[in-house]
Amino acid sequence: MLVSTEDRNTAGATSSQALDGRAPHAPVAAASSKVSIRGVHRRFAGKRGADVHAFGPVDLEIGNGEFLCLIGPSGCGKSTLLRAIAGLVAPSEGSIEIAVDAARQPIAMVFQDYGIYPWKTVEANVRFGLQLAGVSRQEIGRRVHKWLELLRIEDFAKAYPHTLSGGMRQRVAIARALAVEPQILLMDEPFAALDAQLREILQDELLALWQADRRTVVFVTHSLEEAIILGDRVAVMSSRPGQIVEVVDVPFERPRTGALRNRPEFGQLRGQLWQLLQSEIEPTRTSGQGE
Amino acid sequence: MTALRPRGAALEGTDSTVLVRQPGPQELHPRRTRGRRRALELTLAIGIPVALVGLYQLATSQRWIDPRLYPTLDEMGRNTRDLWNSGQLWDAIYISCKRALIGFLFGAGGGAIVGYLMGASRLLRAALEPTLSMLYTVPKLALLPVFLTIFGFGERAIYVLIAVTVFFFVWISTMAAVMSVAVGYREAASTFGAGRWQMFRHVLLPGALPQVFVGLRIAASVSILVLVGVEFVIGSSGLGYLINQGRNLLLLGQAYVCIVIVAVIGYLFMALVRLIGRLLMPWAPEDNAIGPQ
Repeated sequence: MLVSTEDRNTAGATSSQALDGRAPHAPVAAASSKVSIRGVHRRFAGKRGADVHAFGPVDLEIGNGEFLCLIGPSGCGKSTLLRAIAGLVAPSEGSIEIAVDAARQPIAMVFQDYGIYPWKTVEANVRFGLQLAGVSRQEIGRRVHKWLELLRIEDFAKAYPHTLSGGMRQRVAIARALAVEPQILLMDEPFAALDAQLREILQDELLALWQADRRTVVFVTHSLEEAIILGDRVAVMSSRPGQIVEVVDVPFERPRTGALRNRPEFGQLRGQLWQLLQSEIEPTRTSGQGE
Repeated sequence: MTALRPRGAALEGTDSTVLVRQPGPQELHPRRTRGRRRALELTLAIGIPVALVGLYQLATSQRWIDPRLYPTLDEMGRNTRDLWNSGQLWDAIYISCKRALIGFLFGAGGGAIVGYLMGASRLLRAALEPTLSMLYTVPKLALLPVFLTIFGFGERAIYVLIAVTVFFFVWISTMAAVMSVAVGYREAASTFGAGRWQMFRHVLLPGALPQVFVGLRIAASVSILVLVGVEFVIGSSGLGYLINQGRNLLLLGQAYVCIVIVAVIGYLFMALVRLIGRLLMPWAPEDNAIGPQ
């Protein structure tokens, strides 16, 4: 992924100001910021006029080409934060600035479920985003073919989703998102509904795909392993109202493979993240279970 | 997880029982079993109405019921032949089907359009829902005099009455169907930057279609109901007229035959709508494509 030098300079300058000493963990981001989240809150209108404070204030800089994972206890607002970046909900306060190249698709999102349309074939699902973006017919054909192949679902091109397994469906969702070659890919617990083995397989596949073109990814997950395997940095959110308590650098070199899971440093990092999370989960343990 | 434990413990205790899981006929001869089941289903579907007719014949021939009020199948057959030979029956079937179809097409088309628009727009819903809901509950046959004064005693008043009745059924089910299209589907399209038309074309239209077709099938049978009712009141033609005439002139065979024909037409009409639905929605798993039947 290329970014203009101009873009890089301005984004870098603003990010260091916005952070105002809050997060010393952002060396990657400071270089060229893709997404600047500043003082963002989100509140929902609750019953009887009482507002639910989903998250905030959140300040976060996401670098260009960075893979950022977002973890936190259930209900901490991490999905809402992602949806705010996607533009599905507006911040109640603060601002999110996204540096985009106007000529290209800014954002694509992969959902945990309900992402792909049962009334479209696999091929038509992958074509969907491209159609909306007004890509030429020829180019659509080429890209659909390419991404079906990369995600190894070309044999199912004409099938409808209800005939596919969960893992296959999620591959379709990823292919659909990546086919538009978005500048930012948002993933909301994309593998949460899959079983453990399949999850690891898809993590490894995503890792390989991402390392090939390094686009900006924001990845919300419940799984610490997933966050470490995939992320350049892992942002840990507190329980509701969610705030970023820590942004941890993942020191492992790229390209990574799934073998990373067996390294002792992996376990250490996992322990570190777990401790951060646990201090957040502990107070709400009795009420907030079950999710 | 925890629920499984006591069950496992119980199994360990009773070590004498052996549960065997092995392929049944369905697994061993899948094609043959499926063929047999189809044959059984078809036999039942045809057999039950045939058995009912047979029971009726038995009741009349054994004088369990009064044959002057309930004519025998023989007599009905004779009546049918007379009606057919005089050309009356075919004319009645033709004109009734035409009325039902035209009324249905306009009513369903209008209902689907208004339903989709209102399902997609909160503002439109707020503006129109109370009024339409009130009109929905008015029996349309009660409005017949109004339609007659507006559209005259011709065919048009009949088309309009059927169309208006069908409209409400299709409108309400379409609106509900569009509103119940999962938010996740809408959001996925939003993130790709879908506009209003694209949202409709790619998400709301297909997403609501299965439920819309349930409404269409109900509306199809309703159109026949209203048709016969109208023909009772104003027609000088059509199956409803023949039924009414048969009653008045004590040609009961004629009345019963026409009732059966109406029932068959209603069935075929619903089946046609269902078939169209199947063709339009290849993605829907067959069993719950558009509801039962």
